[in-house]
Amino acid sequence: MRIIVVIGRVLDPEGFVVNRRRGRIFVNREEYLIQPADRCALEAALRIKDSRSVDVEVVALPRCPLPDDDVLRLAVATGADRAIYLTGDGVAKADDAVMARILAAAVERLGGADLILTGATTMDTGQAQLAPRVAEALGWPQILDALHVEAADGRVTAILKEGNGYVTVETDLPAVVTVPQDTVKPRYPDGVRLINVYKREGEMATAVEEWDVAGLVDAEALQPLLEKRGQDFPPERERGVRASGTPEEMARAVADALGQRV
Amino acid sequence: MTASYLDLLMAQQEEVTEAEGGGGGIWVVADVVGGAVAPVTLEALGAARTLADSLGAYVYGVLLGDGVSDLAQKLYQAGADGVRVADHSSLARFALAPYLKVLSDLFEGEQPEVVIFGATAQGQALAPRLAQRMGGGLIEHVVGATLDEATRTVQGAYPAYGGEYYEIGACPDARPQFLTVEAGAFPVPFLDEYRTGEPTAVEVEPVEPAVRAVGLAEDFEPPPVPLAKARVVVAAGRQVGDFDQVEPLAAALGGQVAGDRGARDAGWIEPGQIVDVRGVMVAPDLYVAAGIRGDTFHNAAIEEAKFIVAIHPDADAPIFQVADLCLEADPRAVLPALLKALE
Repeated sequence: MRIIVVIGRVLDPEGFVVNRRRGRIFVNREEYLIQPADRCALEAALRIKDSRSVDVEVVALPRCPLPDDDVLRLAVATGADRAIYLTGDGVAKADDAVMARILAAAVERLGGADLILTGATTMDTGQAQLAPRVAEALGWPQILDALHVEAADGRVTAILKEGNGYVTVETDLPAVVTVPQDTVKPRYPDGVRLINVYKREGEMATAVEEWDVAGLVDAEALQPLLEKRGQDFPPERERGVRASGTPEEMARAVADALGQRV
Repeated sequence: MTASYLDLLMAQQEEVTEAEGGGGGIWVVADVVGGAVAPVTLEALGAARTLADSLGAYVYGVLLGDGVSDLAQKLYQAGADGVRVADHSSLARFALAPYLKVLSDLFEGEQPEVVIFGATAQGQALAPRLAQRMGGGLIEHVVGATLDEATRTVQGAYPAYGGEYYEIGACPDARPQFLTVEAGAFPVPFLDEYRTGEPTAVEVEPVEPAVRAVGLAEDFEPPPVPLAKARVVVAAGRQVGDFDQVEPLAAALGGQVAGDRGARDAGWIEPGQIVDVRGVMVAPDLYVAAGIRGDTFHNAAIEEAKFIVAIHPDADAPIFQVADLCLEADPRAVLPALLKALE
């Protein structure tokens, strides 16, 4: 059984400050994290691997353009069997539509897969389109926002939140499943594996491969559809707004304010 | 003008007609919740109407479900020029494959310019698949939309890092342009009861869903979310008297209960629920402080909260210096009223 885990990175929000009045973002410390939901997806994949007696291979692939392969090495150090670092001229500007095509082609080149696991949303912009796009590109079914995932006997079973309760759903493999943030406690990378994956020693010597996307998809497929046209900043936070009136009127003011936030 | 003639004019219903042959246009795929059109769909129709008026395009609504034909007039009232209805028992519950088949067949024929979904579970599942299938671009969680009229491109603003700022994206070379819009981001349009139309039925070819429901997961316990990561925190201090109103409020808001050191001293909360720099630092989207005066340690611990509501009878309570919405009142009077208002 082969499980593909699609992981990406995100700028650590602790390392920058947004100044709404100036309309600028001041980055004090440019440090990146693995997308938290992608870490949970990796953990879900490793738990399936741990729970099964048959061979399960976990392969990590990037969800977005990466300037280096640190995130993939961390995935291998955490327990993935191998990782594919995608490089080439076309990949640097790839959006989710392009990444979906590249990932679908990469899965084909790997000889197929049984399950693709990835984070449900990105931490920075909350984008959730990559997994359904990959599922569409491969013609596979999808299960989104799975709180628990099991794969056995040619089926993937997942638990989803529905209303105030939870339901179990299943679909036949191969399938694409997304996992939200904070659904499982991700394990830490293994120290020895981490050192070996950077030193390229032992079984880690060939764990991270490098593939040029030019060999996966044609140049036309690498044209991004989404164009970023800048940023906008909401007005500065206005503190100390007083609500007045009877308790009922105040409660109504609070309920109206909360209605936009909860 | 006589009064009777005016009455006659006002009562005359405006029959909405579509463009001959269809093609292009801004399409809104409706969410139906509990047998009614979801507010986010009406908001999306309002946004679509504004964009369409600038583009000189028509607005179309799409309804999918079982027994949803009667809802078509609501879409006309909200601004749709045409409505397509896929009314079939196989569409009674949302399932990806049947819905995707209907929409894919419909849009292949109609070639829309823009397609808008609500950023709901249904919209978030359908929009990316349709976009990938049709070669369209997709901007998710849009909270503001403007138009680049020269290229007929919709520019969508979507929140980054929980709304700290907005990224602006556009898909100038991709058609259709897909958007999912956040609930509450656009105003609900005026519902013109005199605006009516004749919806067009869409032929439905039943498709078996690829994902099957197995049953309720009654034994499933989701992993607990630590207080530091909770999205909503309802905290209270001694002023509330007891936690009888605090816990229901937290449940109504889907949040966690916390308190200050005073609440801990009164035995109402556990040590792990104390919001304080020496206890738990929180960063929720919403923090409700009921009867908490707000000392330096407490206020520093809620610095990262995105919206703070404070209820305290003392006008000079330090909590009001950090709160976004301040209620100078007895929390014992406000909390029951708030619970009632939230219902």
